[in-house]
Amino acid sequence: MDDPKEEKKRKRTIKLGDNSSSGSGDVKPDMKRLKSESLKIKQEEAHVNTGRNLFYAEEEEVEGRDVDKDVELFQSACGDIQRTIADITALKESKSKNAKADIESKKMEGVLQIVMLKKLNRLAHIRCKKVRDGTNEAKMRIDRCHLLVQNLLYEIMHLEKEIMKCLGFKSKDEEIDLVPVEQFYDEAPTEISKPEVTESDGHQQTLARLDWELEQRKQLSNKLKDAQKSKEKIETEIKTKQEHLDTLQPKLNVILQSTKPVQEYLDMPYDAVKEEHMTAQYLPHPLFVLYMQSSAYKDACDKKMKVTLEGNLEAAKSTDFNAPLVLDDDSDSDQDEQEETDKKNSKRRRKTVEVKKSESKSKVLTKHPLSVVIEIVCDDNSILHLRFHYLSYLKIITVVVNVTMATSSSTSCVSASDILSPDLILDALYTGDHGNTSPNHSNQYELNRFGLQDLNVYVTQVGRPYLWAQRMGGLQFLQGDPPNAPQTSVSYHTMQSTILKLRKRVQSRLALVKQLSSLEHNNVPVTSEYIGMFPVKLSSHLKSWQRSTYEEYTESPFTQGKVTQGIGCQSDLFFKTVIERGSGKLEAYVVIAPDYPVEAPVFCIRITWGTVRDSSNDCHIQELEAEVNIHYDELTNEKSCDQLLTNQLQRLIMCFDVYLETESQNIQNEGPSEIAKEKVFSRLCRGKSRSKPYRFNPNTGIFSHR
Amino acid sequence: MKEQNSDSLSKRKLLHTTVYSQCFSPCGKYLVAANNFGDIAVYSLVAALAPNADDGTRKPIYSFKASTEGSIYSLLSTETLLISAGNGDICAWKWSEILDKAAKLVWSIKVPQLQAYTNPEINSLALSKQETGLQLFAGSGDNNVYTWDIESGQQTNSFSGHKDYVHCVCTKNSGRECVSASEDGTVRIWDCRVGGEAIHVLEPNKHDLTARLDMGKWVGCVTCDNNEDWLTLGGAPHLSSWHLRSLEPICIFNSPGVTHNYVSFYEDTILSGGSEGYVNHWYVNGEVKRKVPCSAANVFNINVNTGSENNKVLCVAGSSPKIDVCTNFGYTAFSLLFAL
Repeated sequence: MDDPKEEKKRKRTIKLGDNSSSGSGDVKPDMKRLKSESLKIKQEEAHVNTGRNLFYAEEEEVEGRDVDKDVELFQSACGDIQRTIADITALKESKSKNAKADIESKKMEGVLQIVMLKKLNRLAHIRCKKVRDGTNEAKMRIDRCHLLVQNLLYEIMHLEKEIMKCLGFKSKDEEIDLVPVEQFYDEAPTEISKPEVTESDGHQQTLARLDWELEQRKQLSNKLKDAQKSKEKIETEIKTKQEHLDTLQPKLNVILQSTKPVQEYLDMPYDAVKEEHMTAQYLPHPLFVLYMQSSAYKDACDKKMKVTLEGNLEAAKSTDFNAPLVLDDDSDSDQDEQEETDKKNSKRRRKTVEVKKSESKSKVLTKHPLSVVIEIVCDDNSILHLRFHYLSYLKIITVVVNVTMATSSSTSCVSASDILSPDLILDALYTGDHGNTSPNHSNQYELNRFGLQDLNVYVTQVGRPYLWAQRMGGLQFLQGDPPNAPQTSVSYHTMQSTILKLRKRVQSRLALVKQLSSLEHNNVPVTSEYIGMFPVKLSSHLKSWQRSTYEEYTESPFTQGKVTQGIGCQSDLFFKTVIERGSGKLEAYVVIAPDYPVEAPVFCIRITWGTVRDSSNDCHIQELEAEVNIHYDELTNEKSCDQLLTNQLQRLIMCFDVYLETESQNIQNEGPSEIAKEKVFSRLCRGKSRSKPYRFNPNTGIFSHR
Repeated sequence: MKEQNSDSLSKRKLLHTTVYSQCFSPCGKYLVAANNFGDIAVYSLVAALAPNADDGTRKPIYSFKASTEGSIYSLLSTETLLISAGNGDICAWKWSEILDKAAKLVWSIKVPQLQAYTNPEINSLALSKQETGLQLFAGSGDNNVYTWDIESGQQTNSFSGHKDYVHCVCTKNSGRECVSASEDGTVRIWDCRVGGEAIHVLEPNKHDLTARLDMGKWVGCVTCDNNEDWLTLGGAPHLSSWHLRSLEPICIFNSPGVTHNYVSFYEDTILSGGSEGYVNHWYVNGEVKRKVPCSAANVFNINVNTGSENNKVLCVAGSSPKIDVCTNFGYTAFSLLFAL
């Protein structure tokens, strides 16, 4: 198939080669050139047409031709040319005759081969261009595809985002707190719950539940509306009633006003009580508790007690004592520091600082303007006044005590004028409660902070902070920690016992004063109820009764045993007494605790009879002391033990008689002894210690052993 | 009011405490002491003697009320029982229960009441072992000496003849004889098998060597040595040793102005205590071996613990709440406190 085509082409190319060689053959002489120039125009015209045609033809030809064959063609052409040139060279050298013609024909052959090469060159160019175009086209296609891919990827991403958004979507209904499913099925009517549909379909179920919720809420809102309506109705009702009551007030006032004379006449001070209760509202909380509890106690149990309120009501109203009282102490301390740094140049400033300090000092000790006054009337009409103050800053209750003696019982007592003094009369009402130190331990720091001394320096100014007073006001200081708030139960539990103790204390103190004043006159007053406990005749008698001091007591030689045992302390009262019978002499120190007669007086005895004896070298004196110091409960009765001291003293006198009489009996002196035996003893001695019969049996009049 | 003051009252009671008697448990590890308020306190000697002893171990580990009527004058220990006597009945307590801190009365013997109003006390107890069982001797406030059989609680004998109450009793001759010292100034020796009148009567106040008439005549204590050749007595007359066969005082133990409440033989020495704050150790010939000061001004009882070799101590009790413990007898090592 190829062969005819190739033949054709070759023919054509040869033709072409002819044309072109004729056109471009410059090697021809001028003549020829002229000839050819005249032809040129024609040829050119034809050349343009044929060239274009040729070009397209060649383009098509390229598609039809095989590259490999062209390469072979090219190589063979090149070989031909080389051979032709070699032939020519050989011909030239042979210098034969027809060499010229042979050379000429060989030249022609060679030129034809060159035309052939040209043709191949052109074809190669065209082919190259074609391949380049193909490549470009493929590139374009690839670019387009790439773009498409990009677009698609982008779209995927976008869609994914949308999906995510959808997945993350929260419905409003999720926020609603629905009733649990079981409850829903239990409560909701079937037309809403539709169990047959909803139990399998979660969505439907939720919808149903939402429906039910809506239903319920509607019901509730209706209910609320109803309630509000009824509330409004009641409010208006109340309003009208209030108005009615308000109009009643003036009327009632008029009526009350008109009853006043009647109240006064009947001695029933309802109004005064009412007013006081009004005032009580302004009391600080602890005093309020104290007031309420003591008035309640008064009403219930003790008619001989008076509870009143005193003080400036207006001041109490104007000051808000509920708010914690904050003193400007920080600035003070700042100023202190400053003061220290520039001490020299601030004499004036220091003064102002001090003024400020003293102000805050007085503020620390401020009492609440209202105070509760309790008056306890004793049997003999002596009155104990207790004025309870509340120190608003220190948060403690203090008591100012005063005793009004009944005119009938006024006695002059030199040795113990101070036992009724307001400072001492309520000392140690409960054990250890001297009212010198604040029960609120934090007070100590507060006082220190303001440069104040211990609270006991100020007790004359503010009153004594007895523990029982705190308890009456409901303040229980457990180990000095301040309580949070006053507790009524604390007050309630201690009220009765404290009032009883107060009353007892005053009575026993009054009785003690009486006894002491009588003892000062060397007279031992034994009251009629106790007189039977002692024999009628006693030969020993009281020689002297004097006030003594703690120092004297501790330094005395025969009290050492007691002192080392811790009997007797600064707050006790000390007396020294002498009892005599003939040459026998008994000296005794008497220690009376503030809590007398709950705590019985203690006697320390020394007897001078021939030799000087005391409890450390004579066991009989030890027993004698035990008679008064330990077995004192026989000397009191259930009603009162106020006569304890004189009874003890009387027993001491009696026992001293026994001592002297038995001592003189034991020693068998010839002739009448100084001490006559007056008493009747069951036995002189008993037991290993040869103890003496100190015990008197009032029924038989015989002394026996304990 | 009284409950409130029980603290101060017990403090005062302590101040006025006199310990009349003490005795050691059979095991020798415990000391019991009785005071004038009828309380019995038990101390652990082991704890008190321990190297880490402090004030806490010198207090009673247990105490109980043994008499409601007052003083307990005498304590005595048998193998199983503690016997206490004084004002009121003679009471017996089981040692095991005491040491378990739950003392219960095992039995009690009522002292025969011969007269009204007297309510006699028992001042002294003594024990003797007979073939028939343990015999308990008691010197009573009604001037008599009684004996009981401990097993049956039956009164076996009574000896009367003293003109005043009996201060002290002791047994001699394996319990066949008994000696009693009395307020009336006599010491009588009784034959337990016969009863009736005393076989011998000693009257120290009538003997020139021993009499101290200015002090009185009462005899407060009496004891016999192991060989029963000697009898030592003391009280208002001089503390003196009497030869039993001749019934004559041979030597006196000179302690001017001191009356004796307690005397006993311990090995070859005589221990005595009385109205001064000392424990006297005498040689039998009347010379002072040593004088040991003690807390009590009036010594009522001196006791040596022989039951336990580790706790061999000498304890001194008297008119003080403190019971002095002497570990080597020469000085007071420490004091036990009768604090309830």
